[in-house]
Formats: sequence, structure tokens, C-alpha cells
Amino acid sequence: MIKRKDTHVEIGGKLFLIIGISVTIFISALFVGPKLISPLSMSSTEKQILLSIRLPRVFISVLMGMALGASGAVLQGILRNPLADPYILGISSGAALSAAAGIIAGITFIGIFTIPVLAFTGALITGVFVGAMGWKRGGFWPDRLLLAGVGLGFLFSALLMLIMSVSSNEGLKRATLWIFGDLSLADWTIIPYGFAFIAIGLGISMFRAKALNSLMLGDDLSHSLGFSPKRERFILFVSVGLMTAASVSLGGLIGFIGLLIPHIGRFIIGSDSRILVPVSALGGGILLCIADLIGKSIVSPMELPAGIITAIIGAPYFLYLLRRKDVLSI
Amino acid sequence: MSSASNSNILEFDDVDFSYGADTLLIREICFSIESSEFIGLLGANGSGKSTILKLASGILQAHRGGVRLWGRDLCEYKNRDRAKLLSYLPQMLEMSIPFTIREFVSMGLYPYETLPELTVDDAIEMVGLTGNSESLITNLSGGERRRVYIAMTLLQGAGLVLLDEPLANLDIKYQIELLRLLKELRKERAMTTLMALHDINIAFQFDRIILIKEGRVLGTGTPEEVLTRELLKEAFDVEIEFKTEDTGGVYIRY
Repeated sequence: MIKRKDTHVEIGGKLFLIIGISVTIFISALFVGPKLISPLSMSSTEKQILLSIRLPRVFISVLMGMALGASGAVLQGILRNPLADPYILGISSGAALSAAAGIIAGITFIGIFTIPVLAFTGALITGVFVGAMGWKRGGFWPDRLLLAGVGLGFLFSALLMLIMSVSSNEGLKRATLWIFGDLSLADWTIIPYGFAFIAIGLGISMFRAKALNSLMLGDDLSHSLGFSPKRERFILFVSVGLMTAASVSLGGLIGFIGLLIPHIGRFIIGSDSRILVPVSALGGGILLCIADLIGKSIVSPMELPAGIITAIIGAPYFLYLLRRKDVLSI
Repeated sequence: MSSASNSNILEFDDVDFSYGADTLLIREICFSIESSEFIGLLGANGSGKSTILKLASGILQAHRGGVRLWGRDLCEYKNRDRAKLLSYLPQMLEMSIPFTIREFVSMGLYPYETLPELTVDDAIEMVGLTGNSESLITNLSGGERRRVYIAMTLLQGAGLVLLDEPLANLDIKYQIELLRLLKELRKERAMTTLMALHDINIAFQFDRIILIKEGRVLGTGTPEEVLTRELLKEAFDVEIEFKTEDTGGVYIRY
């Protein structure tokens, strides 16, 4: 019988360690890259690179990773499905379709904000549509949400492929890069907006973590424990929608994190959402930060999309866990 | 039936219920339960036992009539206040998230800001799972898992416990232990239990039986009063009767 011998002290120690590792990686990512920068002796050019290029890029990768990791943990709970991830609801496909259409058509009506706004709008409209399809008798039904998301995701993916297959301009390459998670256009100007939405979503998720735990027991038991499962599922769905839409609009689609980081988090720290949600957020931030660092360094001056690296790093580790530990619920 | 007696913890007052515009599943149900009673809700499959428990827990709302908890309409309670007075354990228990037993059972404390008298370890001990508190619930057998759910329900510490077929999947040893435990809690904490069951063999363990057929109360009273050949024939559509041995034991004859 598999046991997890964590006491509160051990969990506290692990949390402290994860936070320490996160901070170390986030700071290290500023100085490591295609060109090493010494924090002790920086030239003015290096300071400029640090503040204008690396810092916003680390911020964006951490924000996106945190949003996706936390969204995955929340979504697997509210849908009671360990295979759920933020993209299964079709939100990413809606964002991708909207943003790719904008890139290929060369739309620039609000300058640098155009693509993020298009992606965010596409994600939000899709989220509302999926929510409406999943709504019945005064609440969201997990299976209906999932099926609506999967169905809509297929439709949007097909439309995206259609647009891309009939395009041949420069926008096509940019759109392809964006779809796989392109952080090369990271810029300070969009960070406050992304940060605001992600902070609100993460705050809601952490504040409602007890309710999220109860939803995993089923609606009847959640009710018995003093929660309103329909209301809680709605609130948490909105938080996931905000985080996912903001993440996609910051840097495109990043696979793997939302699906598997929560499982890795459960292995390390347990299934209690009060700890799992922040740990999944930190884990997502760490993974995407490292993936982006590798993606921009390994074939410099070219860059590999971070979404490809997350899958290449993460999938083998997950398969290793699946093989070694009987703690994953899938 | 409208005025609540002070000792009535739960009252069903002429309750009707149906899903949507379908035929009524529950019809004109009237009964009341006093504090510390140990009551069995007996009926054939599909007779409406689970629906009655869901109405009693506030998960479903009556179309007509009223359900009152301590003399007050159930809908008037805030969720958390209700959870301190009433806990409900459904029949179907599905879990795909790997909580440890401790993580799982401790959710019974959610309605409280301050820790109640019973601890997580006490609750785990009550259901005989001491020493396994860090085991993952996804690795437990059906019976063990059900005991974990029961521990969480007991930790919730409500005065009224609604249990939907809690003995399903349990070995005879744990069936007996659970029934003993619930009776002990009645004595020690004045806990009231309303338990749905379809196994007639254990019906004599209860103070009172409410016999249900097609959403109606067919009879209510002590097991000896209710478990008659005629009523059982009507409720289960089969010829059975209870016989009492000289030693006092009861067995079914069919």
C-alpha cells in the first residue's frame, strides 16, 4: 500500500524548499542565457539587456507558467478529471484562432497590444461559450463542460489549420511560432495587464481552495460540508478562464504544464488544494522559466519555442514518475 | 403537523418531489425524527430512499410541503450553519484524486473555524484505520474507502447524520462495528442517525423503521410493528416474514 509520510513540518519544509528553488531559478534566469551576465560587474549594455529584455521575459514566463500550473490544478478538481488541463476547455483554441488570424491578416490596430488583446478576447469569448454550453439546471455540469470544450476545440483547430493552409506570407511563420509559445516579443507594456488577471485568478483559486477540495468529493458531499457546489464551480471556472486567457495572450500556447505539473505537485506535496494550487503555480513558473532559458540558449541566436521545450523536458519526467510511483491517479 | 415539537430534529411535512415535470417520485411524505433516534429508512430499490435523504440534506428542494431542521425551514439555513447540524453521506462514492486518508478525513472540519472536540486521529481510529492515515485513498478497497468517508462524516460532528446505504461494500465485521459505533455516538453525543437500507436482515438494529414504497411512507414504527408479512409483501413484492427464536434471535423465512 502506497503511503505518503508527510507531517506538517515536512510539508512546510518542502514548501520552503520549493519557494527557495523558485526564487533562485527566477533570479538565475536573468543572468544566464545566450550571453552570461555577471551580477557583480555589468556594463551599461548588459544592464540594458537585463532590464529591457531579460527581466520582462522572465516575468512573462513565470507569470504564464504560474497561471497554467494553477489552472491545471483547479480544473482537474472542478471537473473531477485528472486528465483535464486548461486547454481542454477549448479556451486555447479560441485564443489561437483569434490571434493567428490577426497575425496572418497583419492586423495592428492597437500596436503591440493587438495580438494579446485578440488572444485574450478569443479566449474569453470561447470560455463564455463553453460555460454556456456546460450550464444546466442552474450550474455547470463537469461532463458537459468537458464535451463542449473538446468539441469547440476541434472546430477552432480545424478553422486555424484552414487559415494557415491558405496563407503563405511572413505572418504564417510568426503565427506558427506563437502557437508553440513564443516569448521573444516579451515587453514590459503588457505585463501589468497579464499580471492583474493572473493575480486575480490565482487569488480566487487559493481563497476558494477548501471549496475546490470539497468539489473533488462530488457535489453532494461538497454541499454536506457547507459549500454551494454550483456557485463554487462557477467562481473557480471564472478564475481558470481569467488565468488561461491572460497566459495565452502573454505568449501563446504552452502545452504540458497545465496537465502534468499538478500531478507532479501531488507527488511532492499531496493533493490538498490549499498547498497544491500555489505549488503547481510555482512549479509551472519554474518549468516555463527553465524551458525558455533552454529554448533561447541551445541554438542561439535562433530560438526554439518554449512550448516545445516544456514537453521535451516534462513528458519524460512524468513518464518516469508514472513508472516509478503509483501515486498518479491516471 | 405544522408546529414543531421541541425534540423534533427533522420534520417532513407533506413533501412532494419530482425531477422536472416527470411523475412525482416522492408523494405526501410526512414523518418526524426526534433527537438521539436511530432510524432505518427501508424500501426496495428505486423506492425513493436516496431522494428522501437528499431532500433531508437540502441538496434537493421539495416542490410542495416543507422540510424543517430543528423547527426551521431547511432553506433558511446558511450552508455552513447547516453543515454543523447535519451531515450527509451519499451512496455513490467516486474518487480519482489521490488524497491521503488524513487529508480526506480532515475535510470534515471545513464547516468549523475552531477545532471541534473530535480530532482527525479520533475519527480515523473510530473506523479502524489507525496506522494507515498516510495511505492514499485511491489505493484502498471499496470497503476501506467507505470507512474513510464515514470517518469524515463523523468528524463533521453534526447532530443529525444521514447515511445512504453506508453498509454497502463492508465486511460483516465492519457492518457490525459501524452499527455499534453509531449507537455509541447516540449515547455519548446524542447523535441522531437516519440510514437508508435495503437489507432487511439488519432492520432490527434500529429503534424505528420508516418503510417506503414508490415515494410514499408505507409504515412507520418499531421493527416489530413495521416488519410484518403484509407490509413486507407490499413493499418488496415478495413473501417473507420474520420469525423469533426461543433464544430471542430473529431470522427471515421465505
